[in-house]
Amino acid sequence: MPVEKNPVGKYQPIYYAGASGDFNLIHIDPEFGKMVGLGGNILQGLCTMSFAAKAVWNYGGDPASLKKLKVRFASPVKPLDTVVVSGKVVAKEGDLVTINLVATTKKGEVEVLNNSVAEMRKV
Amino acid sequence: MAIDTKFLGKKYPIHTYEVGKEKIREFARAIGDSNPLFLDDEKAKASKYGIIVAPPMFVVVYSAGPVGQMLMDGDLALNLMMLVHGEQEFEFGEVVKSGDIITTESEIVEIFEKKGKSFITMATTSKNQHGETTVKGRWTFIVRG
Repeated sequence: MPVEKNPVGKYQPIYYAGASGDFNLIHIDPEFGKMVGLGGNILQGLCTMSFAAKAVWNYGGDPASLKKLKVRFASPVKPLDTVVVSGKVVAKEGDLVTINLVATTKKGEVEVLNNSVAEMRKV
Repeated sequence: MAIDTKFLGKKYPIHTYEVGKEKIREFARAIGDSNPLFLDDEKAKASKYGIIVAPPMFVVVYSAGPVGQMLMDGDLALNLMMLVHGEQEFEFGEVVKSGDIITTESEIVEIFEKKGKSFITMATTSKNQHGETTVKGRWTFIVRG
């Protein structure tokens, strides 16, 4: 699966909050994020998951190609990070492909999604 | 503080959501996806779908209502300041199209403690107006400390 890079802008958590409805203060308020020990505001995990999903359905050629996606949020993504999504095909059964996914930031040093897996059917 | 397992099996009211084209566009832009199937009327019309469709992860827009209800549930009294999203699973069915009306059922299916942290999982099932399942979700949250 081709690697996809997703730069996270300073205000990405705000845009995603508007689009998704997830306005939890840990995502939109850096001061609140510091207060609860996160060192600032963090990106919504579901936004990171969307980056992973996008990489899979782009590979599959159609939004309907993504059949299943399971992710574990290993560590938070912060504004100005770049989320790099990569995947490895680990099984093929008929036209159903199983892909192990990893997403990292900081040039691969920090895993933000791990133990994550997608099922894809080429369409 | 441990989450009381008496809340296992708790269901929240069925959540109904009407899928709007502009909301799909807004969501696609917010995740950096420029696929014309989500954005362009003409190209979507010429596609096999015949209309603008939603990216799979649009599920978070139409089915998260009951998840929000659980998180804000005064009886559960989850400590939101210490809450993080732990795991997420979606099994996708029918593609969601602009104009669909989606209903979502929900249930708390797992509550447990591990290494001093509390875990709670909600399962959701969403169906379109034809009764076809669009997604099944499992939403796991962790309350730290």
